[in-house]
Amino acid sequence: MSLAFLSPVAADDVAIARSPMERMAKAAGAEFEVRDGWNVAVRYAGETAERTVAWADVSHLRKWEVEGQGGEFGVARREGDAWVCPLTSDRALVIGGAEPSPTALDVTCNYAALTILGPQARETIARFCALDLRPQHAPPHSFRPGSIARQPGMLVVEAEDRFLLLFGWATAEYMWTVVADAATPLGGRPAGIETIETIEATEDTDA
Amino acid sequence: MSFLLTCPNCGTREVTDFGFGGEISARPTARPSLRELGEYNYFRRNVAGVQREWWFHRSGCRAWFIAERDTVTNEVLLTELPRGPGSPESVA
Amino acid sequence: MSRLPPQPGERIDRQSVLRFTFDGKPVEAFEGDTIGSALFAAGRRTFSRSFKYHRRRGLLCCAGQCPNCIVAVDGAPGVRACVEPVKEGMRVEHLNAQPGLELDVMRATDLVGTRFTPPGFYYKTFIRPRRLWPLYEKVLRHAAGLGVLRKEQADREWRTEYRRRHADVLVVGGGIAGVAAAKQAAAQGADVVLVDEGQVEPVPGVEALGRATALGYFDGMVPVWQGDTLHQIRAPAHVFATGAIEQPLVFAGNDLPGVMLSGGALRLLERYAVSPGTRAVVVSTNDRGLEAAARLHDAGVTIAAVADLRASATEATRALQTRGIAVLQNHTIVAAEGGKQVTRATLGGVEGGNGAAVGGNRAAGAGGNGAGAAAGAEVSFECDLVVVSGGFAPATSLLSQAGARTAYDEARGHFVLADLPPNVFAAGEVAGHADPDAAARSGERAGRQAAGGSPEDAADQPIEQAPTAVPPPVAGQTHGKCFACLCEDVTAKDIKLSIDEGYDSIELSKRYTTVTMGPCQGRMCQLASIRLMAQETGQSLQTVGTTTARPPYISVPMGALAGRPFQPAKRSAIHDRHRELGANIKWAGDWRRAYDYGDPQQEALAVHEAAGLIDVSTLGKLLVRGSEAGEFLDRLYPNRFSDLKPGRIRYGVISSDAGRIVDDGTICRIDEDTYYVTTTSSGAGAVEEWFSWWLADWQMDVRLTDFTQGLAAVNLAGPKAREILGALTDLDCSAEAFKYLDAKHATVAGVPCLILRIGFVGEVGYEIHFAAAHGEHVWDALMQAGREHGIRPFGLEPQRILRLQKMHILVGQDTDSESTPFSAAMPWIVKLDKDADFIGRWALEHYAQEEPAARLVGFTLGDGYVPTEGAVIIDALGAPAGQVTSARFSPVLDRVIGMAWVPAPLARDGATVAISDQGRTVSAHIQTRPFYDPEGEVLRS
Ligand code: FES
Ligand SMILES: [Zn+2]
Repeated sequence: MSLAFLSPVAADDVAIARSPMERMAKAAGAEFEVRDGWNVAVRYAGETAERTVAWADVSHLRKWEVEGQGGEFGVARREGDAWVCPLTSDRALVIGGAEPSPTALDVTCNYAALTILGPQARETIARFCALDLRPQHAPPHSFRPGSIARQPGMLVVEAEDRFLLLFGWATAEYMWTVVADAATPLGGRPAGIETIETIEATEDTDA
Repeated sequence: MSFLLTCPNCGTREVTDFGFGGEISARPTARPSLRELGEYNYFRRNVAGVQREWWFHRSGCRAWFIAERDTVTNEVLLTELPRGPGSPESVA
Repeated sequence: MSRLPPQPGERIDRQSVLRFTFDGKPVEAFEGDTIGSALFAAGRRTFSRSFKYHRRRGLLCCAGQCPNCIVAVDGAPGVRACVEPVKEGMRVEHLNAQPGLELDVMRATDLVGTRFTPPGFYYKTFIRPRRLWPLYEKVLRHAAGLGVLRKEQADREWRTEYRRRHADVLVVGGGIAGVAAAKQAAAQGADVVLVDEGQVEPVPGVEALGRATALGYFDGMVPVWQGDTLHQIRAPAHVFATGAIEQPLVFAGNDLPGVMLSGGALRLLERYAVSPGTRAVVVSTNDRGLEAAARLHDAGVTIAAVADLRASATEATRALQTRGIAVLQNHTIVAAEGGKQVTRATLGGVEGGNGAAVGGNRAAGAGGNGAGAAAGAEVSFECDLVVVSGGFAPATSLLSQAGARTAYDEARGHFVLADLPPNVFAAGEVAGHADPDAAARSGERAGRQAAGGSPEDAADQPIEQAPTAVPPPVAGQTHGKCFACLCEDVTAKDIKLSIDEGYDSIELSKRYTTVTMGPCQGRMCQLASIRLMAQETGQSLQTVGTTTARPPYISVPMGALAGRPFQPAKRSAIHDRHRELGANIKWAGDWRRAYDYGDPQQEALAVHEAAGLIDVSTLGKLLVRGSEAGEFLDRLYPNRFSDLKPGRIRYGVISSDAGRIVDDGTICRIDEDTYYVTTTSSGAGAVEEWFSWWLADWQMDVRLTDFTQGLAAVNLAGPKAREILGALTDLDCSAEAFKYLDAKHATVAGVPCLILRIGFVGEVGYEIHFAAAHGEHVWDALMQAGREHGIRPFGLEPQRILRLQKMHILVGQDTDSESTPFSAAMPWIVKLDKDADFIGRWALEHYAQEEPAARLVGFTLGDGYVPTEGAVIIDALGAPAGQVTSARFSPVLDRVIGMAWVPAPLARDGATVAISDQGRTVSAHIQTRPFYDPEGEVLRS
């Protein structure tokens, strides 16, 4: 028997895979596109590039658990499109990109994910999370497993003012509520992944 | 109570990130008498001072580790990963 | 009106007029006014009614330190008027007075006499008769209430923010020393946060939080309450520059409106240009009180008299004399009198002369019996203001919480810092440096050290100041009530009484009289109560000691402590479908689950008659991999898994080393090295922790991964289940090809799934596990395929009925922490013939030999009555002998069925037991085999 049942499967042009925050995104005015069988919130009505803080549902990012790969604690390595995050001395979580190895365990749906970005991103996260994210203590590429809004979570500092939060799939609706509640008074709003991709592109050209 | 603990895998976090597993006690290696079994199951040394104890990083890496903590001051003297059978903390 | 012409340095903007209401009446204020200064300027003298006696209370400290001016603002109780800036349109209301501040009916408690409200009256007065307690409680709750908190978040007028801040150095106190410390630490590159209760000037490179109060010290974490935000500030080093708190004096009528601390009177005058009175009597133990007298005189207040508790004149005395004001040395105040406010003050000589200024502990030395009271000829003066200054005690509460020790300083008559824990620093007046230059130097030094620098130079010795008198613990007791504690209305007499009753330690007296337990948190009363205790018990103040300083430092709204109004909830990936189907959704552990879809009985019947579909995504799901995975499970379960064939499933019960049932579930072997373990929904987290705990210790070649949230699972069951599943998969679902307790991998509706054929609800059933992202897709496909077969979704409640029919125990419901596999009728699960040791073995070996006192059995009831879960099984004599753990009406059996713990001799088919439930006794028939399909023929078909 195989472990294929752990993995979400791709499908052409039909949405058979859904983020646990799909309903929240829909209610917030998201427009969706089907990508590899996932219904993905790509943009929001009236979304602009200007923002204090924005959050985007990236739960569709593939995740794997790989053995025999540790690394420097607290630091996520960038390998291609993926973050390789050491969980213990011989176990790592790979986020994004393609399947790292045939023995990697697909844990995509164990973790829902939000990208939180913008000049107020750190301040937003400080309202529901006790992790020390000051730039000098958590520079880009920092990896921090720890409590997020009283739930087990993990956080990757993807860039200055850009954070990737992972948390249990089943807690996602709660987490969206918390993030929205914290970000909204700071002028925040949800963003689609198109926006995030645009920012990534700009950052790349800058670099 | 809001002291800090350092998870050997993840680093320093608030104590609320962790689950407490109690003092380390030795599980009998051979078949215990009923009294020995009762003591193992139900009795704790409960020291006022430094004690070796189990902690679980519940909100993070979800690994168990060992801490030496002063139960009076909550000062944590060290944390480390368990070293397996034969080590002082082994309960096996 | 009391507003004066412009004063130097005043903080009001006379051009900008603001309007607010107090108890519905309009009040005018200037920009920069506090509610307190504006109301005082408008002539108000009574700001609150006291806690117990409902006496009038007015502005005392004007610094947010006492309980006297607490009001409600826009519905939020607990606001101190004297420090709360006026905002246009704010709605201010008094607290704790009915019907109003000027006429308060509860005042009767004061006038009728204190017979009914002695210390500890809660414990004494309202006890009998017992049956009246609910009524007493209502009255007391009302009488005790200092405010009302709206229950629902939606009804509250404000939102509380929480904010985590990490810093290198936190400086508490924004005076000269605090600012110096913050500047110095920042200059050394530290990330510094500075907080102060008042306004703070911006300090470059420092996050300065003004009008923010540090509430406590929790192992390096300091919660700071600012407006509507709770900052949780964590820093490895702290500087406390918390200053000193002016102490009141204990004399008759010391709580009357118009009795004011010298600092309070000066604040009204200097900041808000409000005259605190027209004719003042000033009483002081120190120079600062005399200096205040001079300032008031210069501002036009008539100084009727000045009493100095010290024997000899100082520089400050002479400054008064040059203004033509006489100072009575060796005198104190014995009484203030008046109705709505003070109209007269009586001064008397201090007994024993010399004001005990240098002599140290006059309280103990005086040897009890009213000692220390004023003596000699008394003189009275008409006045509308009594300014008192009983000395300045270092504000050490937060430092004490941080682990600092204090010691009694006999010369100063108060407690001072004795030593500090590592990384905790004190600066300024709290550390004894009242002189501005010395304060600044001590701040710099503390800031440097807190930022990790060396102290560089030796600390200054605190500069010797003009001597201070130690006031008598109480003066003028014969004149009336002398309050030691204003918050809780505790008089000097009450403390004496509590000592007479045996509460002769300061911690006991605190709990009994509630002195220091009110909103001032001991700032106005701790020292006073210690002095009284020392006097009454003949001990030194050092021996009496201080009570433990506890958070919060000020009273804060409950909302500040309540946390975000969101409760973490887990939801299955199919949750939206349940919502759309109108499910009755309830909490089940930390999950939100569908209890039923409107008709649990029909939902259960549909499973027997056609097919049902239930979302069981909440089950714990663990993947156990590795060459020693089988052995690992053999060690954790009383039965065997190393001999389970790949593709097969076995039931397992986890027991503790005490032989008690911990959890249960199914284990499926996927391949040689891989097992898939399911646990109960509520036990998922605990079982994962349990597994990884033993693994951490045994260090076997095993890896655990928790898929509880990552996999959705549904159970499709019923006579039509096979057909429905068959329509969505290529898998041969025939009874021969896919047997009971087989596990198969298959594609269902295009999604790879693990299908477990288990007897979850007693009919042919398939438990289908797959990636959570496909939850709705697979659910929809099954509902679609099942439509023509009459499929119905079913919830947790029908599931309970169905599982009860099969006598499947529900761990935690039918079992408790005493239940063993033997007593819970599952002896077959324990394999004592296993070679290896396993968790629980020794205890289970013992229980295998021993007849349990009680056993878990099924029962049926004839008359349709469903007993309450928890109903008592009684024996022939009517004594409790067991309890009902589950009971339901079974629609398919048309009977009431249940599970119960009964005495072992009765745990046999055909026995009857009596159930006593809510006043009735019913007779139940014991049954030990499943109620439905006892042979499992349906299940295996
Ligand atoms: S007068 Fe406002 S707190 Fe004392
Ligand atoms: Zn960890």
